[in-house]
Amino acid sequence: MADASIITLRNVNFYYGRVKALTDINMEFAPNSVTALIGPSGCGKSTLLRLLNRMNDLIDGTRVEGEILFEGNNIYSAGVDPVEIRKKIGMVFQKPNPFPKTIYNNITYGPKLMWSNNKSDLDDLVEQSLKQAVLWDEVKDILHKSAMTLSGGQQQRLCIARALAMKPDVLLMDEPTSALDPISTAKIEELIEELKINYTIIIVTHNMQQAARISDETAFFYLGRLIEYNKTEKIFTKPDVAQTEDYITGRFG
Amino acid sequence: MDATKTYSMKWRYIRQQAFFAAVRLSALLIALALGGVLLYIVIHGIGAISWEFITRPPTDSMTKGGILPAILGTIYLTVGAITVGLPLGVVSAIYLTEYARQGRIIRTIRIGINCLAGVPSVVFGLFGLGFFVVFLKFGSSILSGSLTLGFLIMPTIIGASEEALKAVPQTFREASLALGVSKWQTTLRVVLPAALPGILTGSILGIGRAAGETAPIMFTAAAFFTAKLPGSIFDEVMALPYHIYVLATAGTNIEETRPLQYGTVLVLVALVLGIDLIAIVIRSYMRKRKRW
Repeated sequence: MADASIITLRNVNFYYGRVKALTDINMEFAPNSVTALIGPSGCGKSTLLRLLNRMNDLIDGTRVEGEILFEGNNIYSAGVDPVEIRKKIGMVFQKPNPFPKTIYNNITYGPKLMWSNNKSDLDDLVEQSLKQAVLWDEVKDILHKSAMTLSGGQQQRLCIARALAMKPDVLLMDEPTSALDPISTAKIEELIEELKINYTIIIVTHNMQQAARISDETAFFYLGRLIEYNKTEKIFTKPDVAQTEDYITGRFG
Repeated sequence: MDATKTYSMKWRYIRQQAFFAAVRLSALLIALALGGVLLYIVIHGIGAISWEFITRPPTDSMTKGGILPAILGTIYLTVGAITVGLPLGVVSAIYLTEYARQGRIIRTIRIGINCLAGVPSVVFGLFGLGFFVVFLKFGSSILSGSLTLGFLIMPTIIGASEEALKAVPQTFREASLALGVSKWQTTLRVVLPAALPGILTGSILGIGRAAGETAPIMFTAAAFFTAKLPGSIFDEVMALPYHIYVLATAGTNIEETRPLQYGTVLVLVALVLGIDLIAIVIRSYMRKRKRW
């Protein structure tokens, strides 16, 4: 797996000011797989996710130690433009956050700035992205209506489509279904299964069943440390570490 | 036990009613004060208003004729003030909220801006006289007056713009940045459009203020009387607020110009209220479209 990994973390420590949020993390993410990050609130799993596309740069006073390699290159080395990293590593947030623009313009916003203004190219891209996010049939007749008129679940799938339109290699998802109802959640989980074919997906979730259902690998974090990182099946049947078992069986957290 | 409970409920109800009455009364007083002033001006000024009054220059040592040059002058100066104050103010606000690292220096700058907002307008006028009129040799002109007024309203515009920018949800910025869009493009295409209603309302209120100010233009732009309408931005102009001041204090025959004074006041008040009304309409229109 070492050679095949798309993202590799080596001895990563992370600080918010003087508070250490992550301690000595070593991890490898395999391409075209779904990895779930689980653990109690404040364990550092979201922090880790936001390290991978340098979103933590936006917070004053943060500091990273160690190396995070994306396709073999350290994304934190001097001279790397975080903007370039974020083009290849997309992100979907906890709360659906479409722009207050039309559905169509939500999708074309990034591509327009990045590549082309060609109308038919953009039309194709919109259709393709929305189909990938399994939203096309619901919105194909209202593409020029405000995205704010969609339901929460639709908005979240729009956000996924928006991220896919940038043609990333990796999709980071930060509790993407925690604000959604069970039906929307099921749709997004199905979607993740499909996306795995073309993308590498790393998902933070508080929902243990969700992690078990959709992920290939699961990483359990506690107090800023990676406690166990294993095949999902193994984690949920007979984990190596007692703490993991305590957490997933609901004995703490 | 029950009796005390009923008693205290009743007492609470009375207190609530008394408080509501007090609140209503103070709201009513404010409305009455405004209404009173407006009514007084309209009653005294409406007689002077005619087509001639707003389309002719003054004649007969300002005891007859209209106020066209003053209306135009005020419009020129206001437009000039917007041209100076709006871009500078909005760009400053973008820097302060989006780019600057929040710390002691930024806090000092902010205090400076707040102080600037409290500086008496006559001080701005004297600054304009010293800097634009004399030092930069712009003379008493539309240009000097516009620059002075622009600086006068800039703190207001910065304040309003900062509030509007801060009110844009952080999730919008994150959504855009996470797509690999640069910070500048994010600010330009996501943050600024979302903040625009707030920026515009705040700014238009500032502009309303600029239109009504006398002291800043007194030394920098306003003329007692001009025979011609201004031909360039280096010309002096008449302006409504200054014209009122002139008619009321320095005219050849103050008593005889009294109706004209009220008429001019009415035009100025209508102009300023009109500008404020535009702000209210824009705000309510944009609020209806805004949903987050």
